[in-house]
Amino acid sequence: MIEDLRRLEADARAAIRRASDTDELERVRVRYLGRREGRVSALLRQLGRLSREERPAAGAEANRVKTALVQAHEDRSRELAAATAHDPDRLDLTLPARGKWRGTVHPVSRVVDDIWQIFRSLGFVRARGPEVDTEWYNFVALNTPLDHPAADEQDTLYLAPGLLLRSHTSPVQIRTMEKYPPPIRIIAPGMVYRRDTYDATHTPAFAQIEGLVVDEGVTFVDFKATLAEFARRFWGPGTRVRFRPSFFPFTEPSAEVDVKRVIVREDGSEEETGWIEIMGAGMVDPAVLDNVGYDSERYTGWAFGMGPARVALLRHGVRDLRLFYENDMRFLGQFT
Amino acid sequence: MKVSYRWVRDVAPGIGLPQAQAMERLALRGAPVEEVVDLAEGLRDVVIGRVLEARPHPNADRLTLCRVMGPEGEVPVVCGAPVVVEGACYPFAPVGAVLPGGFRIGKRKIRGEVSRGMLCSERELELGDDHAGIMLLDGPYEPGAPFAQAVGLDDVRLDVEVTPNRGDLLSHVGIARELHPDGQAGISLPEFPDGTPAVAANFARGEVEAGSAGVRIRIEDPDLCSRYLGAVIRGVEVGPSPRWLADRLRAAGARPVNNVVDATNYVMLELGQPLHAFDLARLADATIVVGRARPGESLVTLDGETRAVTREMLMIRDAEVPVAVAGVMGGRDSEVSAGSADILLECALFEPRQVRATRRALGMSTDASYRFERGVDPATMETALTRAAALIVAVAGGSVEGELIDVHPRPWEAPVVSLRPSRVGHLLGVEFTPEEIAGLLAPLGYTVTKRGADALEVVVPGHRGQDTLREVDLIEEVARTHGFDAFPEVMSPARPGTVPDHPLFQLEDTLRALLAADGISEAQTPALGPAAHGDVPLLNPMSRDEGYLRRDRLPGLLAHVERNMARGVRDVRLFEIGTAFAASSVPGEAPAESSRVAVVLTGRRTPPHWSGPGEPFDVYDMARVLELVAEVAYPGGRVVPAADDTAEALCVGGRGYVVVSGSGEVVGWGGEVEPGAMDLPRWAGVVVGGEVLLPDMPGPRPEVTARDLPDQPAVQRDLALLVGVDMAVGKVVEVARKGAGKLLEAVEVFDVYEGDDLPPATRSVALRLRFRARGRTLTDKEVDKACRRVLRKVKEETGVETRS
Repeated sequence: MIEDLRRLEADARAAIRRASDTDELERVRVRYLGRREGRVSALLRQLGRLSREERPAAGAEANRVKTALVQAHEDRSRELAAATAHDPDRLDLTLPARGKWRGTVHPVSRVVDDIWQIFRSLGFVRARGPEVDTEWYNFVALNTPLDHPAADEQDTLYLAPGLLLRSHTSPVQIRTMEKYPPPIRIIAPGMVYRRDTYDATHTPAFAQIEGLVVDEGVTFVDFKATLAEFARRFWGPGTRVRFRPSFFPFTEPSAEVDVKRVIVREDGSEEETGWIEIMGAGMVDPAVLDNVGYDSERYTGWAFGMGPARVALLRHGVRDLRLFYENDMRFLGQFT
Repeated sequence: MKVSYRWVRDVAPGIGLPQAQAMERLALRGAPVEEVVDLAEGLRDVVIGRVLEARPHPNADRLTLCRVMGPEGEVPVVCGAPVVVEGACYPFAPVGAVLPGGFRIGKRKIRGEVSRGMLCSERELELGDDHAGIMLLDGPYEPGAPFAQAVGLDDVRLDVEVTPNRGDLLSHVGIARELHPDGQAGISLPEFPDGTPAVAANFARGEVEAGSAGVRIRIEDPDLCSRYLGAVIRGVEVGPSPRWLADRLRAAGARPVNNVVDATNYVMLELGQPLHAFDLARLADATIVVGRARPGESLVTLDGETRAVTREMLMIRDAEVPVAVAGVMGGRDSEVSAGSADILLECALFEPRQVRATRRALGMSTDASYRFERGVDPATMETALTRAAALIVAVAGGSVEGELIDVHPRPWEAPVVSLRPSRVGHLLGVEFTPEEIAGLLAPLGYTVTKRGADALEVVVPGHRGQDTLREVDLIEEVARTHGFDAFPEVMSPARPGTVPDHPLFQLEDTLRALLAADGISEAQTPALGPAAHGDVPLLNPMSRDEGYLRRDRLPGLLAHVERNMARGVRDVRLFEIGTAFAASSVPGEAPAESSRVAVVLTGRRTPPHWSGPGEPFDVYDMARVLELVAEVAYPGGRVVPAADDTAEALCVGGRGYVVVSGSGEVVGWGGEVEPGAMDLPRWAGVVVGGEVLLPDMPGPRPEVTARDLPDQPAVQRDLALLVGVDMAVGKVVEVARKGAGKLLEAVEVFDVYEGDDLPPATRSVALRLRFRARGRTLTDKEVDKACRRVLRKVKEETGVETRS
């Protein structure tokens, strides 16, 4: 009997191993382990015919064989399932990929970062200052008397008399120069505030980036060259840059900087845009240097201020600035 | 500043530039054109028509039947005007023409007679208000010729952007000066079309008082009014201006009023000098006193407003009361009107800051105040006065009586500024010789009087007398006239600066990248919010919803979750890095600012996928995000459950996490957001949020010291524990960790199961303990011993039993 059991076990194991797909394995299972027709069950039914002495050993062996075969069947079944999963014929590659949310950096932050990366490569570092500041830092130290029409250009939000939300990032110029001696080579990104209501091109709070260079021998030629270099790196090598005279109380000469971009279409043809105003800039007014105790006869410098939101608007063809601040997932999600 | 380009060319006849090039040149000289209006735009289809014959319409009393010679020969036209002159020329809109208002002329039959076109009135052409009759054209015209060109209306209006330092550009002469190749030298004021009456420049002058023709003028406050010129003109006939004058004003965007007022406006637009005409009969005692308002006085200005004026404001007074706010607006009672016969013409110089303060206090701005604030040319006042007087005589009749009056307490002297050519090169990076500098400054009206060894003496012209008073101002003029484009672009080597890169920017950048990589999108919301969200009020907010500076950033972000959900967007993952403001304990002192990172998550943890439904975000996701932020912002910091009374109010049930810095300070919080705190649709699920304060000056992140990889295999044991719902799993894990001893490498909660097959109020918590010893293989005996110790300790200290 025990002999029979062992022979059966060997046969069954071989059959299980030979089974090459789940259907065949199932037939093997029924043949050996099936409750009625199974050969193991058949042998077990014969246990009753054995003598009392033979029965315990045979019974134990029968149970062992059954358990071992069940285990062998399970193992083979798992093997076959795994093989099936790796079967190239069973994969439907047209099914959608497994998803994972993609987060995005805000388009205005991306512009700030791109600008920073360029200036960083030109030897600049970043400085910051408070968003609530005084009239001294926001206006007076920047050579903007409060009774001058230039102070009108920026309608300012006040917290208390003399205390305001900075209307530009230029106060960082003063704060940085007060704290550090020349040479200065900084950009200062940050939020600024004006008494503007929301419309397609205005928001009461918006990002700005200030730049400031002060050292001996810094000239208008250097000023033009550095900003033109920035513009070509940001908007592409074919970009033309134009400097137009303008007025800011804290720079002299003052300039508006315009760029004309070359847009390469999908078919390879090129098109030039019109002049796009991108920043206000100029040579630091000696009065500003005097106000922070720098020797304005010895040191010269230049500065600029630009609005990254406007740049982002142009870059992405966004028609309405408000879209940047509605924070709709469907809008933000586009900037992957 | 709106200018008629035709007018600009009239005051400087040498300007040959086509309009497009003129605009380019203005832009490159600091006065870009913001808008161009083609004044002939709507008149393109209108031509000159000559009436060959006019006879009464056979079937209508008020209509005339005309034969009109137009571009395509003779056509019949039915006209409704009361008078049609045979042989005269009129603006004619033939069939197919579109009038300025958009009206298209068609072939019509009027009372049985065919009409093939229309003779036009001023109003139909939007040239004026006159609708009574059609517009009779004097002079020889070619029938069929384009109307606008024939009558000189083919003009463009340029809206020039003028910066606050360029008061000199607020006139046609000022714009022309920038366009003419010879600049100032090219200016030549044109004769008026019907001749320029001579006005002798004879002045009755006085330091603080002067008079002529029965009028006396006195200046009480010479600091605020340094000069006052007057002209007495008697016998004027106030009425509409002649066409040319009205057209000129309209071309420059001004509205014609009457011939006297129009003459003053014309000269202001031409020369930049504001002028005012008083009805002399309305000035008590024919007296002008320039002085401050008396207490309690008020004045009705030209716009009909009653203005309370104060001691700080400068007035033009007659012998009794204020009659004008100096430099801002005239008074209604002394206004020149239809019945005026004698007038006093004022041309004065008021102190810019005074005008600015006054008009701001009165909440108004006028063409005059705008110019005074930016500085008018003290050197052209006499020209302006005589030209305006001549124009008034030319268009309104009358004559100048007696001498002109000049009260001049503070004679103007042209500023002389010293300019070092070496400094020009020092600042601009290009060397200029003294001759080159003189040549660049001359067209703008500057004269170089002395050429010293090191410096030039430059005399500043009146029209730049407000702005160019320092050497650097002249250097700007040199650069501007040379042309910014003419400077080379050469980058010079730069020394590194003394300022360190601010570490907070670096931290913010790291967090931005980390959170975006984690599937969260960066939002930007304003730092301004309603009173409930802040402690720092604004003095002059735009609205109540934006009246305070935010004390935290998360509430602003939650508002954007609401906004997304209101638009049907269910999966919202936003973060923001921005400033929060805490009120100072000292009133009037700046609030404390801190940079914050706020995060909010709601919806599904993963995008929808066929392999299974996505699970919603829950509070444990927030814990992970807080850990992510804490790891970067606070080395050595950790995220722990808040004690019940310390959780933020926004957390549901008062339960949430706090972020604790390495030094033990609470620097952030997060949890499931109390649903009542938001206005969400019913379908909205759990919203989790958190906010972490960033250090003002983050230190460098500690360097990682790498550990060697283990040289021995680990032994793992799983324990299933039955933990009551009142017992914190974290506590059980802590006890287990301590009980396991030194050999324990890690403990992990790998399953928490609740089910009916467990005793009530319990859950099955599965712990996986990993043991490892350095340098040797662990024996089963050691590990079994450690596990038994764990189970014993857990039972002793927490009462938790093994799940059987």
